[in-house]
Amino acid sequence: MIVGEQKPIAEIIKSIQPYRKILILGCGTCVKTCFAGGEDEVAVLASALRLSFKKDHQEIEIDELTVERQCENEFIQEAAESIGNNDAVLSLACGAGVQAIAKRFATSPVLPGINTSFIGIQENPGLFTEECSGCGNCELATFGGICPITRCSKKLLNGPCGGSRNGKCEVAPDTDCAWQLIIDRLKILGQLDNIRSYIPPKDWRPSTSGGPRKLVREDHII
Amino acid sequence: MKNKFTPKITLFYCINSFNESDSFPIIKDKNCNIHTVKMACSSMVKDVFLLRAFESGADAVIVFVCPEGQCRYVEGNIRAKKRVAWVKKLLDEIGLDGKRLSIFNLSRGDEKNISKAIDTILTDLTDLGPNPAS
Repeated sequence: MIVGEQKPIAEIIKSIQPYRKILILGCGTCVKTCFAGGEDEVAVLASALRLSFKKDHQEIEIDELTVERQCENEFIQEAAESIGNNDAVLSLACGAGVQAIAKRFATSPVLPGINTSFIGIQENPGLFTEECSGCGNCELATFGGICPITRCSKKLLNGPCGGSRNGKCEVAPDTDCAWQLIIDRLKILGQLDNIRSYIPPKDWRPSTSGGPRKLVREDHII
Repeated sequence: MKNKFTPKITLFYCINSFNESDSFPIIKDKNCNIHTVKMACSSMVKDVFLLRAFESGADAVIVFVCPEGQCRYVEGNIRAKKRVAWVKKLLDEIGLDGKRLSIFNLSRGDEKNISKAIDTILTDLTDLGPNPAS
């Protein structure tokens, strides 16, 4: 899932200052799971903003709505009426959701309420970790399902670097050494030979280095 | 004058920490209007409920939870404590002052400490004054 966290409230207040009617639009998928932009977070933010504006004797009208996913047109459509009734949209979706709303509603200002952080998982309740960099050419099969591009601080494809200690990374001592994890896992799988051969430098063209990416599925285009 | 008002307080309490029929007379005599919200467990106190109490005009919000280690649902009072801390931070950020929100670990029938908790809030409110967003 996409992991994000809500922007500091002072930054949000500053961004909505020019408007008197705001729609706080939540997203009920990824950012809901990481407690940044679901129905609950929309309600809390709306309440906090109302209090803040009232304290400063400023008027603001806040609508609240959460759609299933802001990155898909069929769900965005549910918000059309509310968006039309407000001066601006404060989107609690990831950057893709914010841009999807902006693309669909050309005349409505769309403000981001979240900083999109990474593609990750919920490792424990309340703990989210980055697992994928979206590099465009997945090689997890070679590395026993553990991504050195994302989880090794040095992004080494021919690790380990030799600096890890007690299974922890020398760059970030509270982080597991990805290469320790890879070797341990490959041993369990009986696939240690995977890393005996040299792995050539990664081709970064399918990643963001090649400019904005696009995926075309002809079979779904009419 | 900040100290010349009758504070409005919203009290969220877990039934394991406070018995309204037995202990309400203690708080009834204080110089404040108290609105109570009864909960089966303090873990039910979501952050938005605390904020909405302020939106409804409360000058202070108090949460009574049972002593740590005595929650009948194991960790309800710890969850409540963390949520209160989160909302206090939020109140500070919007300039409403986190001191308006407090949590107390109390045992049911501990009338001395119940009275003391309310007195603490009332003392704080003489400095804080009325809720500026009410």
